[in-house]
Amino acid sequence: MQAVDGVDLELQPGEIHALVGENGAGKSTLAAIAYGAVRSDDGSVEAVGVVGLVHQHFKLIERLRVWENVLLNREPRRGWAIDVDAARERVRALSASYGLAVDPDALVETLPVGIKQRVELLRELDREPSVLLLDEPTASLAPTEIASFFTTVGDLAKRGTAIMVVTHKLAEVIAYSQRVTVMRAGRVVASHLTSETSADEIAREMVGGEVPALAARASVATAPLLEVRGLSARSGTSVLDDATFEVRAGEIVGVAGIEGNGQTALSDALAGVAAFTGELVFAGTPLRASDTPASRLARGIRVIPQDRRHEALVLDWNVRDNVALGRHRTLGLAKYAGAAREVIERFDVRPPNPDAIVAALSGGNQQKIVVGRTLASSPKLVVAYQPTRGIDIGAAALVQSRLIEARNAGAGVLLISFELDEIFATADRVLVIANGKFVGSFDRAGIDRGRIGALMAGNA
Amino acid sequence: MTAAFLRTRAFRDIVVVLVLVFGVGSIAMLLAHVSPIVGFGALFDGAWGTKGEIAETLVQTTNLLFPALGIAIAFRAGLFNIGAEGQLVMGGFAAGWLGAQFPLPGYLAVPMVLAAGTLAGGVWGAIPGIMRARFKANEVIATLMLNVVAILLTTYLVTGPLQQGGANGSETGPLPKAAQLTHLFDTQLTWAFVLALVLAFVLRWVLQGTVFGYELRAAGDAPEAAKRAGIDLGRTALIAMSLSGAIAGLGGATIVAGALHRFNTGLSPGYGFIAIAVALVGNLDPLWIVVASVAFGMLQSGGIAMQAEAGVPKEVVSLIIGLVIIALAGRRVVASLRST
Repeated sequence: MQAVDGVDLELQPGEIHALVGENGAGKSTLAAIAYGAVRSDDGSVEAVGVVGLVHQHFKLIERLRVWENVLLNREPRRGWAIDVDAARERVRALSASYGLAVDPDALVETLPVGIKQRVELLRELDREPSVLLLDEPTASLAPTEIASFFTTVGDLAKRGTAIMVVTHKLAEVIAYSQRVTVMRAGRVVASHLTSETSADEIAREMVGGEVPALAARASVATAPLLEVRGLSARSGTSVLDDATFEVRAGEIVGVAGIEGNGQTALSDALAGVAAFTGELVFAGTPLRASDTPASRLARGIRVIPQDRRHEALVLDWNVRDNVALGRHRTLGLAKYAGAAREVIERFDVRPPNPDAIVAALSGGNQQKIVVGRTLASSPKLVVAYQPTRGIDIGAAALVQSRLIEARNAGAGVLLISFELDEIFATADRVLVIANGKFVGSFDRAGIDRGRIGALMAGNA
Repeated sequence: MTAAFLRTRAFRDIVVVLVLVFGVGSIAMLLAHVSPIVGFGALFDGAWGTKGEIAETLVQTTNLLFPALGIAIAFRAGLFNIGAEGQLVMGGFAAGWLGAQFPLPGYLAVPMVLAAGTLAGGVWGAIPGIMRARFKANEVIATLMLNVVAILLTTYLVTGPLQQGGANGSETGPLPKAAQLTHLFDTQLTWAFVLALVLAFVLRWVLQGTVFGYELRAAGDAPEAAKRAGIDLGRTALIAMSLSGAIAGLGGATIVAGALHRFNTGLSPGYGFIAIAVALVGNLDPLWIVVASVAFGMLQSGGIAMQAEAGVPKEVVSLIIGLVIIALAGRRVVASLRST
């Protein structure tokens, strides 16, 4: 498969260059080719000096110290041994020189994500790169951290480093870059000075047409559905602490927060796969910590899990059997095919073939299957955890529209998302989660972006 | 490790098996100063040459098919049951001891003997099933250990508390005529062969054509997704392991009732281990496992003829089968141990 096809791109020293495109457009492949991790079949990459790359998912060794991570494989030596003092001093000088404060002796596993990102950045800066590639660098940063991150990156650019930021967040492109290149299906489709374009224009270029509009929000009478009082839960490393909120039938409640702030524990407690304490009352009767996932399904609670590949789908199976999963008992084998055709039709799954193996489908089409089968069961409560993660804009709009339609039809929807834009576009109310606690609540009319951003960062 | 992982490299596995069988087999024969053409010729001829030899090949096929089908059920549920040997031995013991202890009239004797073996094997499979369901104990280690326990336990019972005066103290008493399986075509073949074939078709239908099979496969192929879809993984593990053990136990009972007519602690020359390779070569699909059983049954029965006719030690066959097991199962055992 050709991930990148005949791309010409030029980075200038002193410039932040944004590379945007949908999932699968070839951005990350291009970055990997530039870095040298992936070989190109044709064409060449020329750089003056060293190329550095900071990954979207940190490639740090959690059990090692900051200086050990920063200088890995480049440790200063004294004879056969590592010169620890010199190493520590080198990291300290580096962090002072770039204004990236971090304790060289801290264990990486004890650091918050924002600091881990600095460690990643320092590791690349130690190699004195003339070109620095940043792959989705703000994915796990709070809005306030994003601003200070780009201040640092801007300083780097002023010192003469050429910087390329791979991202899908158009607001950051507009706010922080000087030049933007748009990719679609492995090709460069547009290149602008950022000052001469707009987020709308870039979005159209990414999609290759108009961005689909979301379904209209009907005004529906709401009714009590889920009441949560003092919910504390734990799932793996995710911890939720003393959450109190309600979800009414006929509304979408958005849970805004940065990844890793207790969202997984919340979702898993509602799915019946994580232990919890506190009071959950659903449609007048309590939910218990001892409930099985099956009993939650039977009561009309359906969760769209965050990790569709492991938590929702059987990748080696075909579409038909995947659509049945969760309803496989009530439907009966004979009705699997019909149910699959309904979902394929309503969600425009491509290819429209119930026998297609799910692993071969794109992420967007896989997600359509998960969302489709969830809504086809006429749930009373839908918990949608990152329902549009990593899927293209068209598929995301379709998923969001179907969630709005479910709300219009009287379902309660709890939308847990790391994407504020998604929450603002769909939610009737917004709850903010930080450090495992619910720290704010906003009605649709009273949404205050700045305030929500500050709350997400843990600044009450 | 998921069951799907066990099945992904089916084609490559077949190639590996063919290379091992013919490549390693040829080298071993050359070392014994025998032309591979002569050696393999003797092997094929010894397996298919006469009516009696064909029957013996199919007897070996049957003895491998039961445990291989049992293994496939567990593997498809994502459970690496390598305890078929122990389950088979327990089934054989229960069949032999009960059959000799309680002589029943003709139409009841055989069903009782086979049911006893099925039940005993099922219990022996259920033990690691419960350990897995309740305590998340790794079934690879549990089933491996229970193999040893089964062999030592039955040896102890036969020679000690449940002695029935069989020859040299390592056997149960003889099965009455009524409890023995009828022979077919005046050969060593019994209708246990037919039973195994029918069982393969039934299991194929259970896996592909029932909601139970759907849940079992989901638990094996994507446990996290299955759990969230309301499938009880503990219950599925327990049922799959019990069923798996029961089928191997039934196999043990057919060896006792069909060929030995008594339980003997040397009942199995490792059928439960060879069957792991059979199940994997058959891609965990009951119908392909029938084909794989015939191929391995041929190696088993032809090996003796190869030694007699061509002077190649029959251990060459053991060598080949051992290498096939290492090649196909080794990597998966390691993956399974890492995943828990």
